[in-house]
Amino acid sequence: MIPKRKKMNPRDLFLLSFEALVDRKVRTLLTILMVVLGSSLVVVLNGLSAGQAAFLEQQFNTLAANVLFVGSGQRSLSSYATSTSNSITINDVIVQKLKTLPNVSDVIPEYTGSVQMNSQGNVQRASITAIDPSKLSVELPNVQYIDGSTIRAGDRSAALVGDTIVNPPGADTAFVTLGETIKTTSTYSDSSGSHTVIKNYIVSGILKPSGNTGIDRSVIINLDAGNELLHKQNKYDQLIITATTPDDVDTVQQEITSMFGKTLGATTPKALMAVRQQAASGNAAFILMVGIIALVVGAVGIVTTLYNSVTERIREIGTMKAIGAQNAEILALFLVEAALIGIIGASSGMAIGMVAGVLLGILTTTTPTGGGAPVHIPPIYIPTDLIKVWLLSLGLSVLAGMYPAWKASKLSPMVALRRE
Amino acid sequence: MSNKQNLVSKKNTETGSDDSHALKVENLSKIYDTSAGRVVALDNVSFTIQKGEFVSIVGPSGSGKSTVLNMIGALDRPTRGKISVDGIDMFSMNDSEIATLRNERIGFIFQSFNLINRTTVLKNVKLPGLIAGMSHDIANFRAMKILEALGIDDKKDQKPVNLSGGQQQRVAIARSLINNPSIILADEPTGNLDTKTGDDVFAMLKNLSHKFKRTIIMVTHNPELAEKSDRSILLRDGRIEKDVYH
Repeated sequence: MIPKRKKMNPRDLFLLSFEALVDRKVRTLLTILMVVLGSSLVVVLNGLSAGQAAFLEQQFNTLAANVLFVGSGQRSLSSYATSTSNSITINDVIVQKLKTLPNVSDVIPEYTGSVQMNSQGNVQRASITAIDPSKLSVELPNVQYIDGSTIRAGDRSAALVGDTIVNPPGADTAFVTLGETIKTTSTYSDSSGSHTVIKNYIVSGILKPSGNTGIDRSVIINLDAGNELLHKQNKYDQLIITATTPDDVDTVQQEITSMFGKTLGATTPKALMAVRQQAASGNAAFILMVGIIALVVGAVGIVTTLYNSVTERIREIGTMKAIGAQNAEILALFLVEAALIGIIGASSGMAIGMVAGVLLGILTTTTPTGGGAPVHIPPIYIPTDLIKVWLLSLGLSVLAGMYPAWKASKLSPMVALRRE
Repeated sequence: MSNKQNLVSKKNTETGSDDSHALKVENLSKIYDTSAGRVVALDNVSFTIQKGEFVSIVGPSGSGKSTVLNMIGALDRPTRGKISVDGIDMFSMNDSEIATLRNERIGFIFQSFNLINRTTVLKNVKLPGLIAGMSHDIANFRAMKILEALGIDDKKDQKPVNLSGGQQQRVAIARSLINNPSIILADEPTGNLDTKTGDDVFAMLKNLSHKFKRTIIMVTHNPELAEKSDRSILLRDGRIEKDVYH
């Protein structure tokens, strides 16, 4: 037995590996680029998914917990659209029937539509909601006003205006101010042709931004005023049903289904939220898989680079072994190279991915149909997720370096020295 | 170093080997099984080399001279037989111990120098020391002393690829000396050099042997060079044909 010698200083091992990488600058950079692409893709997709989930949650948090939305026909949870094939007309008879159901404390009818608005020569499209103003707080429990206050019940000439209608993005001046008149134009068609209804409303209140883009880009008027403007002929678009408590929401939903079958659809913000979140999670899982595949492709790049490096440096490995390097030191030499590629690639990928996510969030800002403020969903970077991606990138890089490193360490010095 | 000396003394006592032996080769055979059949590269070769001897191993191609050098350098294992360096039976050890033995007790000089061209002369020379866990200060000091002695200390910061063949071989000699090995193995050290440079390198090796009492085993196909060493072992067909002291 020969006594074990001191181990090679890790700093020297690191420097040898670093020099080997620097010696093959272009190939090293291209390999690092593969890791950068993989890790940045995962970071971008993760950040945007988290941002989207938070955005959805914010949207639904503005809705009361004990309400159900009821519309004509089978309500589709995923799109919140109604199917008209199996529907009934929602009118006061239906409203009265629903009010008789147990655990129902109130039934609030609503008209909705899209109109064109003119104010002081400026024009924009907006969504319109017509509702009994005294019941507005049921649908929007957190409603607050920047200026003015709610409209009086029965006042057909007053309107509440959402923040982004008042302050359209990019405009220097307000579209309308408190007390000013807005001219609204609505069109409808019947058997005699297309008709236009024009009505003027005085702004009696400006809503504070709620975070719910649907509300922020809406104009709210009295129920009767909406019936006239949108020519609804007392056929409601939607009913908001308040259950006695949030716990009764599911029971009420079942009662509606048993009473009306598929002709009337009811859904809850909670159910909508769950479906949207489920869809978002599925989407996030899919895009994360795409990112991980990109990382694996990067890892294959590392295998190729290091394998070539072993082949090219075979005499060097032989020499190192001849002058006393242990198998473990040769293994470490190549693993450090793989780890360095991983560390540089993953760290750069993090930074690039975070910046790219922010830029993508800005570039994909969309203006909703019906007008209003563009929807910007910023990415959210959760530190633990970033650390996981960093560790995953590094782990995959080291794993990718295992085979070439092992092959190098197992080379017979005599065979390696003979190789040209 | 004290561990090493203790170990050698212990081994010498165990094996009863003479302290003046740097190397003892006993009944060494190497047989390769190839697709063409069994090839006997070495057949029962035995010899002893004293400390400070400068020995040439000569012979025609395929005589087994490189095979015996590879065995002495523990780069390959024999089919049969035993090699002892400083009284240590090297093939009784595992791969890790053999690597340590190569690092501490054997210096290699290759025909094509085998220097790492991406790094400096100084770092090439220091490398076996760093592998041995030597501190940077000590490795630097020793490497500079050796480079000075070989007259290439001014090249310490250059890359080997920018040096002449003779200078590169001197760097390789310097590298072989950094851990103060018991034996220096030189495989055709002048094979890639012109006659004048080859003579200079040979003179340097001879000087190392005579002045600094280094044991040097050199494989060469050049009989004139072999005659200038202390002793020539002529191999033919894997056997010792002649063992001549000059």
